[in-house]
Amino acid sequence: MTRKTMLAVAVLTSAMFACGQDTEKVVIDGSSTVGPIAKAFATYFMAANPDINVTVSESGSGNGAKSMVAGNCDIADMSRAMKPVEFKHAVENDVLPVPHVVALDGIALVTHLSNPVQELSMEQIRDIYLGRIRNWSELGGPARPIVVITRDTNSGTFESFEKLVMGDKKIMSGAEVVGSNGQMRSRVESTPAAIGYVGLGFVEGVRALTIDGVEPTPRAIKTGDYPVARPLFMYTDGYPELGSALYRFVTIYLSSEGQEIVEDLGFVPVTSY
Amino acid sequence: MKRDSRRIMDRAFSGVGLFSILVMGLFLLFVLGPIIGRGISAYVFRGTIEHRRFLLENFERGDSSRFEREMQAVREARRPVFRHLREFEAAMDESRELRSEYRRSFRELEEAVHHLIGPDPEDKAPVLVRKKYGATRLDQARTHLFEAMHEERWVPDPDNPGGALIRTHTPRGEHFAGTRLEPLFPYLEEHFEAMLQPGWTFYWRFLTDRSIDSHFFGGIGPEVLGTLYLTLGAMLFAMPMGIIAAIYLCEYARPGRVINLIRTCISTLAGVPSIVFGLFGLAFFLNTLQVTQTKSVLAGSLTLALMILPTVIRASEEAILAVPAAYKEAALSLGAGRWHTICTVILPAALPGILTGVVISMGRAAGETAPIIFTAAVSMGEPLQLFDAFSQPTPALPWNIYNLATEHEAVDQIRHVQYGMVFTLVAIVLILNITAIAIRARISSRLKG
Amino acid sequence: MAVHKSAQRDLTMSRRASRIQRLGRAVGEGFLFLVTSLSMLAVLFIFYYIARDAWPFIRQQGLAEFFGSGEWYPSSEEQPSYGAQAIFFGSAMVTLGSVVVAVPLGIAAAVCLSDVLPFVVRQYVKPVIEILAAIPSVAFGFFALVVFAPILQEQGGPLLALLCWIVFLPVALLGALVLGDVLADRVPGKNRGTRRTVLTSIFGVAGLGLLAWAGSALSGLEVTSGTNALNVSFILGMMALPTIVSVAEDALQATGRELREGSYALGATRAETLCRTIIPAAMSGIVAAVILGIMRVIGETMVVWMASGNTAKIPAPWYDFLEPVRTITASIAGDMGEAARGTMRFHVLFTLALALLVISFVMNLLSQWVVNRQRRKLSGS
Repeated sequence: MTRKTMLAVAVLTSAMFACGQDTEKVVIDGSSTVGPIAKAFATYFMAANPDINVTVSESGSGNGAKSMVAGNCDIADMSRAMKPVEFKHAVENDVLPVPHVVALDGIALVTHLSNPVQELSMEQIRDIYLGRIRNWSELGGPARPIVVITRDTNSGTFESFEKLVMGDKKIMSGAEVVGSNGQMRSRVESTPAAIGYVGLGFVEGVRALTIDGVEPTPRAIKTGDYPVARPLFMYTDGYPELGSALYRFVTIYLSSEGQEIVEDLGFVPVTSY
Repeated sequence: MKRDSRRIMDRAFSGVGLFSILVMGLFLLFVLGPIIGRGISAYVFRGTIEHRRFLLENFERGDSSRFEREMQAVREARRPVFRHLREFEAAMDESRELRSEYRRSFRELEEAVHHLIGPDPEDKAPVLVRKKYGATRLDQARTHLFEAMHEERWVPDPDNPGGALIRTHTPRGEHFAGTRLEPLFPYLEEHFEAMLQPGWTFYWRFLTDRSIDSHFFGGIGPEVLGTLYLTLGAMLFAMPMGIIAAIYLCEYARPGRVINLIRTCISTLAGVPSIVFGLFGLAFFLNTLQVTQTKSVLAGSLTLALMILPTVIRASEEAILAVPAAYKEAALSLGAGRWHTICTVILPAALPGILTGVVISMGRAAGETAPIIFTAAVSMGEPLQLFDAFSQPTPALPWNIYNLATEHEAVDQIRHVQYGMVFTLVAIVLILNITAIAIRARISSRLKG
Repeated sequence: MAVHKSAQRDLTMSRRASRIQRLGRAVGEGFLFLVTSLSMLAVLFIFYYIARDAWPFIRQQGLAEFFGSGEWYPSSEEQPSYGAQAIFFGSAMVTLGSVVVAVPLGIAAAVCLSDVLPFVVRQYVKPVIEILAAIPSVAFGFFALVVFAPILQEQGGPLLALLCWIVFLPVALLGALVLGDVLADRVPGKNRGTRRTVLTSIFGVAGLGLLAWAGSALSGLEVTSGTNALNVSFILGMMALPTIVSVAEDALQATGRELREGSYALGATRAETLCRTIIPAAMSGIVAAVILGIMRVIGETMVVWMASGNTAKIPAPWYDFLEPVRTITASIAGDMGEAARGTMRFHVLFTLALALLVISFVMNLLSQWVVNRQRRKLSGS
């Protein structure tokens, strides 16, 4: 009986999943911030090229770099520039990382919508993350201990935040750690006393703070007024051969459709049509 | 102690036991309740015309002539809404004070309307799929309608100045009173059903459809398929190895140091944490052996196979030991060789028991996440053909549940997909386990004669 | 088994068996042995590969900082610190929490299954346990994060108070009863019944008062974040239950009927029989069950990764279960991303994995030793 059912299941599934043969594949791995862009590009790209299979993993910027050097992926999404160490490691393994800046992104400091604190200075943010300011009442908010939330260390967002906000100081060890922008957003949204930071595409349902008097708007990011902003990268091994699937994929961001996708996802495009 | 106190103690003791079993049962309900209840709503829900439009345009599914007729009426109903919005926007472009007063609220309204009934057909069609369609599910549509009708603001609490802000909802109709947009709000409410044509939908293809635009639409086909590949692949490696090892341990092994060592190793293997298997799979199958260039189903299956090997060995051993000795003695006394006896008598008799163990470990392989994080799982990919399966990475249910629940950019908007995935995974595993329980019941009834 | 062996060897090994046959048999047996020893190889390989990637860290940094400090900041470029104390503490804390949840419940349920419930009911309880064991950990993790954490965050205090009442109300009443009973015998004089009633009600009221105080103290608690040690302890405890129940039940069954009947014959009630005879006799099996349950908890990744808050810090005060913690498994799963191959960070994670492996290995040996000891004891008796 079981053998029959197994056979039936196998036949059924293979019948149900009948689809075209994949001839080419583009494997993408890396940052969870760039992930949405990569996934949206992939959807757009696969609709235009049904015979190419694009897979996207979001295991963190460092993982992306690691896996490209190991030859395990074609494109490494990174929300920070490659470090000298990584670059050296790549070159030693005959991989030449070439960056493509697909979009710009601001890192928004976010709090719960019920929190009356609307603006902070860089100094205050740093003090919160160092554990020097422990209660919202010190910042003119309600008397609640601050729940400080940070990202896991394998995220490019964390690295950018660390570099742009913390300088050379270490985030206090009492900070809660979440694994991704989406999780950060939902944690902050459900925790009245929380503070966290996310990419600009993730600010729905939370309050993005004004920093040093500058709101995190696309324009402020483009002009460089907003202090916590960075480019987002896709790295390839060498510049892809013109006309190849890989080339067509990493140049989507240059087209007007690509620009629209980037904008709709809440990031800042590098082109302006 | 007096007798009645002792009796009460005795009752209480039984009570504690019953209570703990009750707790277990309640916890199971507590977990499965939301998972099943909300998971089913991924398959059966009140879908809107947008859902049908989506299926027709992306999967060529549905009755296009009937849809066209429906759509005609829907377009009629929606036209005034878009017209109102366009006219008000034009008016805002003209006048500065209008703009300064209403811009923010208007943008919010426009966005809510687009979420509700999709973009204005007269504008250029958006590229991003999620912007092309309105709400596909009635529950989402109601939320978006509420957002369109009400303005959410966080204001200081009059009872608690300086404290936390409180959320208020004021009807947008009041805000836009006296402007051209005023008639829009009653219209939206009245024609809500006409604009969306909700109806009960049984979307069983959620199980097999590919996802479109990172799970905003479509189903979980690639994930289900990936899980099946990984599970069957793990079985393919673990089953022969497990059964052979069990045969050796039961029929050939002479008790001694070597066998004790092997047994210790098997139970050690059973106790290795799953995340360590994941690291080992990464370090050994991918980085050292390089069975494939990238993460792949093959590497994942091998890792999972190692993980379930001890379970398969133990279950097979128990099944072989449970075969009555008389069978074996009868076969041997008839002059059959040992190997012959094993193949023709013992294995067939032990097969149901072996299958039970195998099926249960399949369930475990299907549900494990940690071993496939570094070896097989990706968050997005096409459903794989059988012959690609071994060289390519795949989405898989357990990993994508984690991924969608924590890493997706719109966690809250695709809750139904997450619940649907969890429900599907739990259903797969439970079906496997129920199969095992059924096999076992048949064995025991057969033994009773 | 051994009895058959010699018998069948005499039966099957005909003297005139040709050499080729014997050779074939040896080769066949060799092949079977090879396949069987694959699991041994697997264990060796796992140890080797995990240790190989952990070795550079151990060699260069030593283990003094690793075990001696709580500063975990392996990502820093200038002065990374690799103190894993907080992470070990997190694992220990979560394990302790789930043991507190799972062990009493598990043992009580096992006793109930093996001795109290009628056979008919037992048949319905077994599948429940199996289903609980079968549900994938990622489903529990999802539940903990999406359903349980918000409940805990919004209703944490009242929920805890309710739990406190449910668990301790029967305990308080029983305690009052027993104390009243015992003390009534101690105090001399007539009219024992009245004395007992009075004493029992005094203790009962005191117990209830204590409970009410604890309950109100608990319901006033503010849970700042629902993803905390308590959340995962509860969920993991529930996940460990099936293991504990099934293994402990087997151990209780294995003690046999004679012990029980002897005890009943001496006039003991069922509870006394179980507490004074059966459970002590099955003790080692129960201990093994608890160890296996603990192993399950320590090795669990997804639940803690999703719902523990992942803070690499020892909570202050250390017993505060409402603080987020971080475990060994979650650190590996979450940090592996950035750790470029060959860097210290990569190796320190493998060192964590090695520690985890060693812990589970030691526990495994321990549980085996305990079980073997019981086997020897039973076969000896």
